[in-house]
Amino acid sequence: MRLPLHWPRTLASRLSLIFLIGLILAQALSFGAQYYERYESAKNTMLGNLETDVSTSIAILDRLPAAERASWLQQLERQNYGYLLNEGTPGTPMGADMPNAPVAMASIKDAIGHDYPMTFTDIPGPNKHFQVHLKLADGSPLTIDVRPAMKPLSPWLPMVLLGQLALMIACTWLAVRIAIRPLTRLADAVETLDPNAHPVLLDEHGPTEVAHAARAFNAMQARIAAYLKERMQLLAAISHDLQTPITRMKLRAEFMDDSSEKDKLWNDLGEMEHLVREGVAYARSVHGATEESRRTDLDSFLDSLVFDYQDMGKDVQLNGKSATVIDTRPHALRRVLVNLTDNALKFAGAAELWVEKQADGSLSIKVMDRGPGIAEEELAQVMQPFYRVENSRNRSTGGTGLGLAIAQQLAVAMGGTLTLSQREGGGLCAQLRLPG
Amino acid sequence: MEHIDHILIVDDDREIRELVGNYLKKNGLRTTVVADGRAMRAFLESNQVDLIVLDIMMPGDDGLLLCRELRAGKHKAIPVLMLTARDDETDRIIGLEMGADDYLTKPFAARELLARINAVLRRTRMLPPNLVVSESARLIAFGRWRLDTSARHLLDQDGTMVALSGAEYRLLRVFIDHPQRVLNRDQLLNLTQGRDADLFDRSIDLLVSRLRQRLLDDAREPAYIKTVRSEGYVFSLPVEILGDPS
Repeated sequence: MRLPLHWPRTLASRLSLIFLIGLILAQALSFGAQYYERYESAKNTMLGNLETDVSTSIAILDRLPAAERASWLQQLERQNYGYLLNEGTPGTPMGADMPNAPVAMASIKDAIGHDYPMTFTDIPGPNKHFQVHLKLADGSPLTIDVRPAMKPLSPWLPMVLLGQLALMIACTWLAVRIAIRPLTRLADAVETLDPNAHPVLLDEHGPTEVAHAARAFNAMQARIAAYLKERMQLLAAISHDLQTPITRMKLRAEFMDDSSEKDKLWNDLGEMEHLVREGVAYARSVHGATEESRRTDLDSFLDSLVFDYQDMGKDVQLNGKSATVIDTRPHALRRVLVNLTDNALKFAGAAELWVEKQADGSLSIKVMDRGPGIAEEELAQVMQPFYRVENSRNRSTGGTGLGLAIAQQLAVAMGGTLTLSQREGGGLCAQLRLPG
Repeated sequence: MEHIDHILIVDDDREIRELVGNYLKKNGLRTTVVADGRAMRAFLESNQVDLIVLDIMMPGDDGLLLCRELRAGKHKAIPVLMLTARDDETDRIIGLEMGADDYLTKPFAARELLARINAVLRRTRMLPPNLVVSESARLIAFGRWRLDTSARHLLDQDGTMVALSGAEYRLLRVFIDHPQRVLNRDQLLNLTQGRDADLFDRSIDLLVSRLRQRLLDDAREPAYIKTVRSEGYVFSLPVEILGDPS
């Protein structure tokens, strides 16, 4: 059975994992190597010492009168071995050629083996050690009790290792952060990239790769803006240049005799003119957010708009009062509301404006009609330039498909939002929200 | 002999100026067409015209420059109607600032142009204003209000914009152009119906009451527009021309 090992999702955790595992392994390896090295050199030193020490000790004991030997034992006692003036403890005899014979055995044998015949016994037990039995010159027995043990590790070593681990984690975190942060920033910048708004340039400082990416991003942003601008200029230029021929055609049409042909031509020209105007307006709404904000009395603003419609004999009503002075771009606001109202008049023959101050201080202006409305699934699309709802395609209602796109663009440029929804009881409700 | 109005049309597009000229001629006006500013100046040297139709977008001296020149020279009394190439607020504002009496956006219908020409002529003849608002003076002060004549809105004492509908602006402008003069309803209707001939069934009385509301004028004790029984209305406050708002 295989355990499903999950590779972590985020780049940060992947990098952290790789760094940490790598660092810990490397650290463990070097620690192991050092430990082994230390062990080897300590052993060699110890064995060297052991040889001279043991041969000296045995020589001293051998030359001492038997009665004085016991008093010297204390001074000859070492950490890893000591001397006993007896036969020692019984144990398993060992040969020097046994595979697991301690190295100390060979050292002792090397040191005094040729002077004193000796036997080795292994003493099993919790403190496993071995003893060397030999006879001094006067025939009295002597036992060397060897307790091989590594010097214990210093108590501060684990602390140092822990500190090292903490340092590795900290460095990993820092490195990963440095590596990931520019990426996050870049992703954020791409996400919020709005080629129509003022470009927000990425900081081009920092490590070479990051600076390079930032420069590339900024260049791309500029390129997109340039393409968009070019597109809009093209639209504006075409629309603009069409105005002169349309003017000529309209003037010529007025010299024609009254007939249904003239009316048709007149209507076509009207449609073309409308399209051209909207094209220019759209290009400008996308590109020229040049109008300055000014303090505007909203109620009188809406009043004047509605009265203008009423004076032309249009059925437009205003409901509600906001009693608010707002900072806004009056021409843009007017254009948005005119487009929405014209739309309502076109499809429903009447429009109602509702103005309301919301609890959070923002303003809501709704333009509502009782026309055929727009199907739920088409609501989002109708804000796209040149999109037309199927039933508006017929010639009588026509339309450029730009009115709502312009309104939407301008609403955004004013810092507001425009949303379309189905009105309760049928019809369309366009809601413009403006910051208070 | 009856006076026939003489219209001078200045447009660089030959077809347009000739079509416009022919249309106006067909409708009882005398017309002369010229292609640029130089020809316009030369023609004005030796001829009398009643109104100039001036295209804004022209190579060489453009319409704005020519309009300013007209307003500064000896022909400043001739009404000017601007043709703007696009539906652009800045063009309109600059055009009106330069002293044009009205403007029309291309593409336009010839009959619309004819209606505008007649309206401008009627307005300037019927009741010459007491007060001539010059080119540089965009702001007119009265009472606690200022009227921005190019952007066509009111400014209160804090500088907050109070919008006016087209008809409201025109009526207020008639009052301001003729302060302290009693105007009867016919005169008001005629003068106010300038541009769009859109004063359908709205009577002047209703429009006056709307304007009073806009000016926050008490209808029972009006301070700005007073009712003169069985005669009409009078704008009773002094009016002062200020310079540019900036």
